[in-house]
Amino acid sequence: MTPTPPQKRTSGNPATQSTIDLTVKQQREQKRQEKLAEYQKQLAKRRRSKLVWWVVGVVVAIGVIAAIVASIVFAPEPPPSFDPGSGDGSSIEGLETFENTATHVEGSVEYEQTPPTGGDHNAVWLNCGIYDQPVPNENAVHALEHGAIWVTYDPAAVSSDELAALEDQLPSSYVVLSPYDGLDSPIVLSAWNNQLKIDSADDERIGEFFTAFWRSQASPEPNAGCSGALDAPGKQS
Amino acid sequence: MTDAAPQQSPTGWRRWALIGAVALAIAGLAFAIGRFSTFGSSGAAAAPTNSSADAGFARDMQVHHGQAIEMAMEIYRKTEDPEIRVMAYDMATTQSGQKGEMYDWLVRWGLPQLGDTTMAWMTGTDTGHDHGEASDAPMTDEEMREAMGMASPAELTALQQATGLEADCLFLELMIRHHGGAIPMADALVELGTDPRAIEVAASMSETQAFEIDAMESIQARLGCSG
Repeated sequence: MTPTPPQKRTSGNPATQSTIDLTVKQQREQKRQEKLAEYQKQLAKRRRSKLVWWVVGVVVAIGVIAAIVASIVFAPEPPPSFDPGSGDGSSIEGLETFENTATHVEGSVEYEQTPPTGGDHNAVWLNCGIYDQPVPNENAVHALEHGAIWVTYDPAAVSSDELAALEDQLPSSYVVLSPYDGLDSPIVLSAWNNQLKIDSADDERIGEFFTAFWRSQASPEPNAGCSGALDAPGKQS
Repeated sequence: MTDAAPQQSPTGWRRWALIGAVALAIAGLAFAIGRFSTFGSSGAAAAPTNSSADAGFARDMQVHHGQAIEMAMEIYRKTEDPEIRVMAYDMATTQSGQKGEMYDWLVRWGLPQLGDTTMAWMTGTDTGHDHGEASDAPMTDEEMREAMGMASPAELTALQQATGLEADCLFLELMIRHHGGAIPMADALVELGTDPRAIEVAASMSETQAFEIDAMESIQARLGCSG
């Protein structure tokens, strides 16, 4: 440090003059203040940048959460389940379900259900339609395999009016209607592996059974025909 | 201010917390994007409903095709005419394929194969058939068969019992009428349907069955059936 000149210099510039006017002590103090201000500025800057990072973090977090929530809230309805037409009649009260084989055989077959809901059967299927005589099980079972519903009735327990009421509810194809000897219920509806025993033609489960099982995926060959094979005796239409 | 990250090296747990938070955010974002990416595929086109024209067409046309297959197989077995035999083979296999496809539409739409009222879906179309004027009564089986150009049980029996030229001519007569009933149904679906594939199939049915009518009429002329 150069010794302070005994005679202070002067300056025309007021700013320079004011510096010259300060004492050494004052100058040191000023430097200290400047350093302090600089430090505080740094500190504030750091605090600000920290704050910015917090804001960014929170915004990103909110954005991600919002995206997840939106992806759940705005998800489209799942496609409808296959409930009604899939051969799932589990909601039908009194429905009986079985397991059956499906081999082509010659001759007569002992069936486990009455009337049968499936099992080994003749290579020739029964043509669908209205029959006024009992039809052979072995051919009718093959029609069930093709998705038909076999509506059987006890002729002693069902009046002709009731039979007409039953017939009116049937679709025009893939149905066999026939009398059956030895039924333990006035009317029995049979589809492949599924059966429903009912007392009268006005039972609303008839519609439910047809909705669930008529040409349903529950049958092994639901797209095969129900015509062009055997017309058993007693076929009306 | 990308370099404004904490300048003192963060303590261990803070760094791991930061990495964890970033990883969690990325995973969350990926999860959401994954879900969003499935939106269009499953829900964009709502499946036709139980009372839709598409479902009615899929059901009624299966019944209709079923009878065409039955008649074609009947004549295939006994005709002596090679042109009728190959045409019958063509019709039976084509319509079996279409029947199977229509079956699957209902399966995929989650609908039963059996509907409420046959042909109800066609009412109110240009091609729909008028029945009973002011009457809202559902059509009888016979009326529906007639509307769809289908053969009656008596006509089917006659086809089964006929032989030779008589059988060929009866087949052509019944099948021309049958196709004539299918075309308005197919056209109605093109007008009312929503499922793109169903509309496409209906349009092609309408076209090919019209060609087949022409072909059958020329066979009728060759065989001298009309008499």
